[in-house]
Amino acid sequence: MTRNKAVPSLAVLLSLVVLIACLVAPGWAVKHENFKTCEQSGFCKRNRAFADIASAEGSSWSSPYELDPATLSFQDGQLSGMLVKMVSEHEKVQLPLTIAFLESGAARLVVDEERRLKGDIETRHGSKINKKRYDEAEKWVIVGGLEGSKTATLNPQSETGFTNVVYGPNANLQAIIRHSPFEIEFLRDGESQVQLNKQGYLNIEHWRPKLENGESESAEDESTWWEENFGSNTDSKPRGPESVGLDITFPGFSHVFGIPEHADSLSLRETRGGPGNHENPYRMYNSDVFEYELDSPMTLYGSIPFMQAHRKGSSVGVFWLNAAETWVDIVKKKASSNPLSMSASEKVDTHTHWISEAGRMDLFVLLGPTPQDLSKTYGELTGYTQLPQHFAIAYHQCRWNYVTDEDVKEVDAKFDKYQIPYDVIWLDLEYTDDRKYFTWDPLTFPNPKGMQEKLDASQRKLVVLIDPHIKNKNDYFVSQELTSKGLAVLNKDGEVYDGWCWPGSSNWVDCFNPAAVPWWNSLHKFDKFKGSMPNLFIWNDMNEPSVFNGPETTMPKDNIHYGNWEHRDVHNINGLTLVNATYQAMLERKKGELRRPFVLTRSYFAGSQRTSAMWTGDNQATWGHLAASLPMVLNNGIAGFPFAGADVGGFFHNPEKELLARWYQAGIWYPFFRAHAHIDTRRREPYLISEPYRTIITQAIRLRYQLLPAWYTAFHQASVNGTPIVRPQYYVFPEDEEGFAIDDQLYLGDTGLLAKPVVQENTFTTDIYIADDEKYYDYFDYSIYQGAGKRHTVPAPAEKIPLLIQGGHIIPRRDRPRRSSTLMRWDPYTLVITLNKDSEAEGTLYVDDGETFDYERGGYIHRRFRYQDSVLSSEDIATKGANTAEYLKTMSGVSVERLIVIDPPTSWKSKTSVTVMEDGAKTATVAPLEYHEQSDGKASYAVVKSPNVGISKTWRIDF
Amino acid sequence: MRFSKSLFLLAVAGSGARASSDKTARPRGVAPDFAKYYQDSKTFTCISDPAIQVPFAAVNDDYCDCPDGSDEPGTSACSHLSHKSPLDVADRFGSTDGPVANALPGFYCKNKGHRPAYVPFQRVNDGICDYELCCDGSDEWARVGGTKCEDRCKEIGKKWRKEEEQRQKSMTTALRKKQALLAEAKRLHREIEDQTTRLEAEVKDAEAKVGVLENEVKAVEEAERSKTVRSGGKGKGKVSALVGVAKARVDELRDALLEVRQQRDEAQSRLAELESILSKFKVEYNPNFNDEGVKRAVRSWEDYAARDKTEIVNQARDRDLTEIAKTDSESSGVDWEHWENEDEGCKDTDLIYQVAAYLPPSVVAFIEEKYLAFRSFLETSGFLATTPESNSPTESKAVTKARDALNSQEDILRDLNNKLRDQRTDLETDYGAGGIFRALKGQCISRDAGEYTYEHCFFQETKQISKKGGSSTSMGRFNKVTSTVVEELNDAGDIVLIEKVAIEYDRGQHCWNGPNRSTKVVLECGEDNEILKTAEDEKCVYSMLVTTPAVCPGGEENIVASPSKDEL
Repeated sequence: MTRNKAVPSLAVLLSLVVLIACLVAPGWAVKHENFKTCEQSGFCKRNRAFADIASAEGSSWSSPYELDPATLSFQDGQLSGMLVKMVSEHEKVQLPLTIAFLESGAARLVVDEERRLKGDIETRHGSKINKKRYDEAEKWVIVGGLEGSKTATLNPQSETGFTNVVYGPNANLQAIIRHSPFEIEFLRDGESQVQLNKQGYLNIEHWRPKLENGESESAEDESTWWEENFGSNTDSKPRGPESVGLDITFPGFSHVFGIPEHADSLSLRETRGGPGNHENPYRMYNSDVFEYELDSPMTLYGSIPFMQAHRKGSSVGVFWLNAAETWVDIVKKKASSNPLSMSASEKVDTHTHWISEAGRMDLFVLLGPTPQDLSKTYGELTGYTQLPQHFAIAYHQCRWNYVTDEDVKEVDAKFDKYQIPYDVIWLDLEYTDDRKYFTWDPLTFPNPKGMQEKLDASQRKLVVLIDPHIKNKNDYFVSQELTSKGLAVLNKDGEVYDGWCWPGSSNWVDCFNPAAVPWWNSLHKFDKFKGSMPNLFIWNDMNEPSVFNGPETTMPKDNIHYGNWEHRDVHNINGLTLVNATYQAMLERKKGELRRPFVLTRSYFAGSQRTSAMWTGDNQATWGHLAASLPMVLNNGIAGFPFAGADVGGFFHNPEKELLARWYQAGIWYPFFRAHAHIDTRRREPYLISEPYRTIITQAIRLRYQLLPAWYTAFHQASVNGTPIVRPQYYVFPEDEEGFAIDDQLYLGDTGLLAKPVVQENTFTTDIYIADDEKYYDYFDYSIYQGAGKRHTVPAPAEKIPLLIQGGHIIPRRDRPRRSSTLMRWDPYTLVITLNKDSEAEGTLYVDDGETFDYERGGYIHRRFRYQDSVLSSEDIATKGANTAEYLKTMSGVSVERLIVIDPPTSWKSKTSVTVMEDGAKTATVAPLEYHEQSDGKASYAVVKSPNVGISKTWRIDF
Repeated sequence: MRFSKSLFLLAVAGSGARASSDKTARPRGVAPDFAKYYQDSKTFTCISDPAIQVPFAAVNDDYCDCPDGSDEPGTSACSHLSHKSPLDVADRFGSTDGPVANALPGFYCKNKGHRPAYVPFQRVNDGICDYELCCDGSDEWARVGGTKCEDRCKEIGKKWRKEEEQRQKSMTTALRKKQALLAEAKRLHREIEDQTTRLEAEVKDAEAKVGVLENEVKAVEEAERSKTVRSGGKGKGKVSALVGVAKARVDELRDALLEVRQQRDEAQSRLAELESILSKFKVEYNPNFNDEGVKRAVRSWEDYAARDKTEIVNQARDRDLTEIAKTDSESSGVDWEHWENEDEGCKDTDLIYQVAAYLPPSVVAFIEEKYLAFRSFLETSGFLATTPESNSPTESKAVTKARDALNSQEDILRDLNNKLRDQRTDLETDYGAGGIFRALKGQCISRDAGEYTYEHCFFQETKQISKKGGSSTSMGRFNKVTSTVVEELNDAGDIVLIEKVAIEYDRGQHCWNGPNRSTKVVLECGEDNEILKTAEDEKCVYSMLVTTPAVCPGGEENIVASPSKDEL
């Protein structure tokens, strides 16, 4: 035998690699083991156990909380007193309580803990953290609506042991406060709406020293009081147990909505097990959940602890202002007794149980009575959605990543070549030099200005990613400044916290620090962020914050922020603080030139709507994720953050062409309409998709652009009264019980447009639920659907978006396709009119420059169109200001080019003209009308050619 | 019939209508080709729908009256008439389906001083001066929002003519180069044909030589075998001769053992290194980065690490091996002295193959097994060629010499055959019309783009060279010449399909978590061989746009073939 002397050792190495690669057992899903269940989260487990004890004891359970009547005082609409926790005969914990009755009709309950408030506690491990319960959430969240009620009064006829407050604009609201055990019942018009501590789950874990050597005599499970382990992380918990829990009952309500962000149905499920129910409470702990699953109460990237309960005749809400990790259990039970129930149908009570790890108890109770009232009152407190720049509501083209500046320019050119409109192209993190934000990769983006100039040539914008993790590198100026100025988040030992994220070793900017804001501001200036131009905007991602090597992919809870607050105290607000800073930075990049910022955020909290848009994070290219996007977007809308969307096409994996096309047809109904794709997926810009899908997608995008006037009007409405931009069935028809759980169809503002995107594969008809007996018209062929309280089958071939218009509306459109939405600004309008049963119709239009804040000084057009008694009129509903005249002058050439009246009276058959009278004109003019007859269930229609009335003018057209 | 005329007299007429009074002037936006449709000053007949007539005042009144858009040649009023738009029944003038298209290719810019061109209707009066199409600025005649587009045709036209002149020159040069390429290709073709003929002769010659040498080897082997038997009898008998052979074999096995152990140790340390790399990798990888390959590797690694691992190096076994590896002496291993002096006759020549019987059986089994297993692993892995059994180590020098001579002659033959096969393949390869690409074969061009330099060697391979690391990655090896369809815009802004020559390269370096890299090189006419751009269309699938004179149209006629050697 011979031997080969040159045995390549590489072979050994390679064979091992092969061996390993062969042992594949694929199967991808969310890593459940990376995120806590209630059982694994000490305070959740403790509070659930406490609730179980209370429930088990039933009527013999008595909540150990009493309001000391001697301490009660009432002044300026605010009731103050001392709540006492009866720990034992000797130990009574003092819990200062206030209930503020607000001018808006909301009531606010705040409970703190006296010893912690006074700093009369000891922290363990020599920790220097703040001893108080976190009480600064309102600083970040609340912007108004706190004016105390001037009319709230104590009802002198209160029963003994009760305090009764009458309040509200119409004095029709009441809070009945029971002293012992402590309970509150809120009533509207004498009817119970919200009950606090009815179940006796109220639990405020008071401070106590750690007893060594097992001295404790308590029967409580103390295993998670002082230290908690999860994965390889240990939480040092220097303040010990400090959770707050409370049960909130909605009597007679079988539906609750809100508390985003969860990939679940709009109507929230029960969470204590059972068929179709969840096993875990809905969790709110902003997290970067990789490949999140559907139909789950698991936490996601953002949270808004605002819940609405809805029944026929009443919509009420509770807003739990707490920034710490929060869980909400939901149980629905047949009402044990309901004296007010007149009907034979069984009433259901919804019991919720709110549990937060830390902070004081701070709860707002909103008594509606309509969903719109809730939107408005909640918006008064936390702010309304910003009125975005106009481009931001158009189509956004994103991908991880457009790889070079030339690549960006080519994509831009391709959209023009295929005549597909788009407004914004996005750059994910790869544009940076070595993942250092505020820099450009010198090899792949050598000419960022040339790129932005090219985009600007068709009025398009660029959005780039800026994340809160700053690469920990000496020669990186941002890193140097961050640490030298002391603006980074610290670890529990007070050193700059170092974690792992995209750039590797990183530090995090602490935007809770007021000094961080001007610094962050400076980084966005043109001279600091070199190569950035005025048409560049910002995307803040990973701001939960996402930390790859942290517990639950985020920061350790014992990290320390400005004010010596623990990360535990502020976690859910963290993302908001970054976005606030970015918003400030983008407001005035050039001195004297204020522009509306556009910031997209992944993490959010109540209040984020004031400064940003959100998207539902890293979804997947599956039909299930497409379907889930609708309830998610709708839910965000009713929770006060309507500028929401999901990644069109699905972020992970490659969508089939049919899925992609359907996703565009659905995505045009997201207030935030952006396509995005993972770096490992195939390119999928619309023009790359083969026919017929390219055309289908192009039509969908153009439909969004055609309806932009209606969208912008809906955005404006949201910005002044908080109504969602796209609305779920119950919101539009709050009296129709059949529709309460429907979350797969939506209404655009109050335009009467009802869309039902197809979210199933290989499906070419769909059912649209119609609540009322108005006629509904197919948007494209005017087919008539009528019949209240039932589902109507609507054809939905691949190229068709199931879309109806309710009778009684006037919808503003702009029909000329342009390269970008900004280029449509001088185009004339088409008004589409559908008459209701009374032969009337109404609609509004809001227009401004879409860019500056001039609208705050009257620089806008706001019209109400009304059709009544055969007259169509345009009425000015704007409030004049310093900029009004100037703006109207620039818009004087913009007119209405066409009226389409669907299903006009048959008497119009012989009509050939209409008379047009514009304000200020000497004589009336005449415009031709043409009547088109249709049959086979399709409505006839009439078209008026060139009435040529100014969009900013008051006019009337006689039919 | 559209709207009645009488009504239109009352309707506000668009500014465009005014121009119509001048007989010689065409309405705004109308190209000379379409002027005939706009002659009647009273009535306009929609071009594709002649049944529909509108008063001439409706032409360019900024309202779309004709289902084919022909009444609005100078505005954007009919720009929505396209299958790309979400049209409703009213937009379709009462019809519910059927194709919708504009009869006109676009807004006609006269561009006096330059070439006339069409601008898509959707760009008319949008506030942007589309100079690249409409240098006279006439597309923004309405001056919306104060837009003013001055006439720049003079400078743009001048620049264009200069460039056009350059293009013409370049095209002439390109054609000249193409002709040269064709001639060169022809010459190369002939050269290869000649080489093929020559090689065929050489192969025949070499084959004959191999035959002779084979016979020689046979003869020498015959002679040697008889010699061996004789010398075997000369010593202390057959057994001792066999013992000599056995000893040699045992020595050899020992050497093999030593080497296998050394290789094992090396593999062992590499395995340890690899395991530590993977452990670190598992800790540091980013789980949020959805790289399926990475995730799969991590999961496999976790499984692997969790598995009950049998100790690869058994200490006791290893001590045994150390023992075996010691040189034989009286005290250890085989006492060869004893056997060599053994004079007992032994007729069983098979004993040579039973030499293992002289060793402790467990040891021999172990060595054989390990050796064979390792060897077969190396062979199946392709790192070691399977060796023919005949090449026994006991061969005499004469046989070896004869065999070496044969081997080297066989090598020569193989070499020649390979060359011949290559040449024949080359002759059969499609090198495009006139075999023109043959002249480009092996020529390399490169271009910097982003963090890479891309290289294209015609008909060989495409490469990516990182500027950061400097490492080179094959993006594919030549597969075939093919064609591809490219979507381009025509004058009217419509997509038209153009067929282009493309060269496919595949079997490039394997992609981490993807396919083997491949590149489609699409060729365009140009004066020089040049990479215009490279794109990664999807993961590790590249396309490259390359110019070359070889695909310029024309030039095939009157090729002046350069004289080949044969003709000299």
